[in-house]
Amino acid sequence: MIAVGAAVVIVAVLLTVIFKTAGGNLDVVGKESITSFESILKAVPDKVTADQTNAGWSLAAPDGSVRFIWSEDYSKSPLHDVMLEFDAEPFVNAGLDKSKLPKNYAAYDEMLMVGTKLGNNKLTYKGDPTPLAAYEQIVGKYRSSIGYHTALDHYNVNLGNGNLFEWAKDMKINKSTNENQDKDIVFVLNPEPLIAAGVNPDKVKGWVYTTVKVDIDGKPTDVYKFLKPFNLQ
Amino acid sequence: MDSQVLSIRGMTCAACAQRIEKTVRKLSGIGQATVNLASEKLFVEYDDSVVQLTAIKEAVAKIGYEVVEKTDNSSVTIPIGGMTCAACAQRVERAIKKVDGVTSASVNFATEKATVVYEPQKARLSSVREAIEKAGYKALEINKADAADEDRKRKQKEIRILWTKFIVSAMFSVPLLYIAMVPMIKVIRLPFPAGLDPMQFSLIYALAELMLVIPVIGVGYKFYTIGFKSLWQRSPNMDSLIAIGTTAAVLYSIYNTWQIAQGNFKAVEHLYFETAGVIITLILLGKTLEAVSKGRTSEAIKKLMGLAPKTAIIMQDGMEKEIPIDEVEIGDILVVKPGAKIPVDGTVLEGHTAIDESMLTGESMPVDKKAGDPVYTASLNTTGTIQFKAEKIGSDTALAQIIKLVEDAQGSKAPIAQMADIVSGYFVPVVSMIALLGGIVWYFATGGNLEFALTIFISILVIACPCALGLATPTAIMVGTGKGAENGILIKGGEALETAHKINTIIFDKTGTITEGKPAVTDVLPADGIEKEYLLRITASAEKGSEHPLGQAIVHGAENAGLKLLSVENFESLTGRGIEAKINGRAVLAGNRKLMDERGISLVTLENASDKLAGEGKTPMYVALDGKLSGIVAVADVVKQSSQAAIESLHKMGIEVAMITGDNKKTAAAIAKQVGIDRVLAEVLPQDKSNEVKKLQAEGRKVAMVGDGINDAPALAQADIGIAIGSGTDVAMESADIVLMRSDLMDVPTAIQLSKKTIRNIKQNLFWAFGYNVIGIPIAAGVLYLFGGPLLNPIFAAAAMSLSSVSVLTNALRLKRFKAATRKNREVST
Repeated sequence: MIAVGAAVVIVAVLLTVIFKTAGGNLDVVGKESITSFESILKAVPDKVTADQTNAGWSLAAPDGSVRFIWSEDYSKSPLHDVMLEFDAEPFVNAGLDKSKLPKNYAAYDEMLMVGTKLGNNKLTYKGDPTPLAAYEQIVGKYRSSIGYHTALDHYNVNLGNGNLFEWAKDMKINKSTNENQDKDIVFVLNPEPLIAAGVNPDKVKGWVYTTVKVDIDGKPTDVYKFLKPFNLQ
Repeated sequence: MDSQVLSIRGMTCAACAQRIEKTVRKLSGIGQATVNLASEKLFVEYDDSVVQLTAIKEAVAKIGYEVVEKTDNSSVTIPIGGMTCAACAQRVERAIKKVDGVTSASVNFATEKATVVYEPQKARLSSVREAIEKAGYKALEINKADAADEDRKRKQKEIRILWTKFIVSAMFSVPLLYIAMVPMIKVIRLPFPAGLDPMQFSLIYALAELMLVIPVIGVGYKFYTIGFKSLWQRSPNMDSLIAIGTTAAVLYSIYNTWQIAQGNFKAVEHLYFETAGVIITLILLGKTLEAVSKGRTSEAIKKLMGLAPKTAIIMQDGMEKEIPIDEVEIGDILVVKPGAKIPVDGTVLEGHTAIDESMLTGESMPVDKKAGDPVYTASLNTTGTIQFKAEKIGSDTALAQIIKLVEDAQGSKAPIAQMADIVSGYFVPVVSMIALLGGIVWYFATGGNLEFALTIFISILVIACPCALGLATPTAIMVGTGKGAENGILIKGGEALETAHKINTIIFDKTGTITEGKPAVTDVLPADGIEKEYLLRITASAEKGSEHPLGQAIVHGAENAGLKLLSVENFESLTGRGIEAKINGRAVLAGNRKLMDERGISLVTLENASDKLAGEGKTPMYVALDGKLSGIVAVADVVKQSSQAAIESLHKMGIEVAMITGDNKKTAAAIAKQVGIDRVLAEVLPQDKSNEVKKLQAEGRKVAMVGDGINDAPALAQADIGIAIGSGTDVAMESADIVLMRSDLMDVPTAIQLSKKTIRNIKQNLFWAFGYNVIGIPIAAGVLYLFGGPLLNPIFAAAAMSLSSVSVLTNALRLKRFKAATRKNREVST
């Protein structure tokens, strides 16, 4: 009985230590993603702006060619709740026929938008909604849209159909490789619908067409992507 | 020196057995200490004046093993009738306690049962029952649990517990393995709970694995308690290897879980909870199968124990009454009806029947029994009702003696086990060192890859299997000796079993061994002036005092001829030569040629007749009256039907067969020719038989001696293997290494074949046990990986380790299929 008691105590202490270390939240990926997303927002405050059209906030790339937009109220966001908006020109020049784009794409004013609808509910906030609070709503209510990319030591928001917005867990170092982190934010497009719409991927300027290792259903898989990485520091 | 066999619990591998042996041997006053891992028994010889049995038990308990107490006291549960209240229970209890020899009594009113512990030497169950009856209550049928049942129940319980542990362990480790492996499987997409996605919910995933492995560790706690305790006491065993390996895996995984909690999600790729869980589960499975197989190795004993009937019909006041077997006392008159088993050993008083003794002797033909004939426990009465007097009960019966003999043999060690014992003693520490060294070397070789080093470390610890080494010999001996007992061949120990397979020369005693041992008078040849009838009468009268079979044959011959024997004034037995007597004032000398030569009596007149008789295989007995040859009485024994076939079988096995006899050379040669004997040792005095054995041994031969008489005992003891045949004397059986329950010589080649097969089985077991470790450990150490091959996963190492023990046991159990290869010959010859 003493041994059983001791074993129970050890297990209880062990779980408590782990739980405490995790800050009382077992969803460490979700929790840590909020912390790191906040770091990104703080790193480029001038690039974070309200987006009235999409009822949310946007984080623009340093060159302004692409934005990650996330809604603060899904009942008001017209098209998508999380999305990328980017210049159409490089793709048009590479042969894009906009009329052939699938339904999750929108084309307007020389811009393309791709994303996904997470829900239709009105999101509520303690106080005024902020860019970070709007992101926290995704973690809290649509947790499966948040992922962790082991190879790049990145978090990501899944924009649907293989499109992602990724940011570094730590802007200084990639802990997977122990190398300097030079890709603080990465805009990721699935090339397949674009290629199907006439784009010659090798002729797209400003985007890197390459294979990346992504986790599909938990399995690391090599897939082609259009990438636009930025080092914010 | 006293000796004891103690049941030990808690041993898991050969290292445990070694440890117990070493610990006990360290005590002063210990003569011998051997542990049989398979039967879980410690055989200890000790000097009672130097060391007490309690000290031995304490020493064993101190190193973490349990000595199962076998008290001298007996315990029974007696159902009580007629109790109406708690006060009745009190009254019954007091009444029982008053019986001299009762150490404790407890009466449960609710169950209406009394549990009584008593000293059988002092108290009889009947007196306990009487006390209950006197108190005014009814003592109903008594249920006395016997030791065999207890042992069987204990083993069944052990198997049940192990099986339950395995099931519980599997219930947790299968889902653990599933969630650990599915995310890594790229080929097919298996269903997987999104909430456990290791990349999304790393900590939850890790904690789920941790929560699943905890119950597995819980059910396998003994690996840790025993393993670490042994390690602490510097005598690590198999449990230590499992404990170190799985603890390393769990601790490293817990560290990585903590890393995940800190935000290092990549650590989710370095969880090894499933390795620990599956290893424990597989080892538990192996242990369960091992326990089942071990149980099967001692089935022969269980069969023997199960033969004894539970009740007997006793004659009391002219009435038949059925009583439990434990209540039968020496001198009781028992009744056995057709179809019933003989409850205890005794002698028939009334009735005539045929009794099937095959369960004891293997002899299929029922034996006729009449008044004065002995009957044995567990033999089956087939035709008539008999009354017999109980003479041997409990542990004194022939059945109990056989069981003890087989049990002792099964608990003994064969010399071939020595190598395995030596290796087992060093095995675990050496393997631990190899594992540590392997881990360190690979850590540096891979540029500090801790996971790789850990995998090597765990794999080596887990794949190493001292169990297979420890089980290789005893299991085969258990099955081999058990199989022998089933065939009426009692092999007294592992050493005898091993030596028997090396035998290249067998010496058979003639009378009673090759021949039936029931000689009869065939010819009476009087000298001139002597009447045939007178010669037979005076010779028989002189031989009346002789116990020699030939002498008795002459007495029977005279009796059968209706001759009245004369009174003898003086009688002297002349060992190995004959007898001397004085009858009606005449000096009578009857014996062999040697005797006549000694006394200077000329045999010339009957020389030709004597030679002729001897040439026919008959033994001529010279008779001299008043110093003058007066005739020959020839006696011949019938050769056993199986003798020739047995000798043929031995020849086929490449064994030279010799015959030893005190008979004259010509008679011996004639018998030898009849049955195909290679070498004849004739005219050998009883005291010289062992010298003849020595002579053959001096030629470098491994000699077995087969005999049945008291005079064979020294030769049986001198031979490398003494084989006593069942129709013989207790002294011969005592001196022998192998006892044949029946008088069939075909059992000699069968015993040798069984020995050969058992030793071959042991060698196979040792080969696999050694080979498995010799191959397994380098593979686990990454030797194949070094040359571009695969790296052994610790889970597969655990599976292989479990299978190694099971495969050794399964191989040993193959011996159960042993059939006397010579059986066909026997059937043909009979």
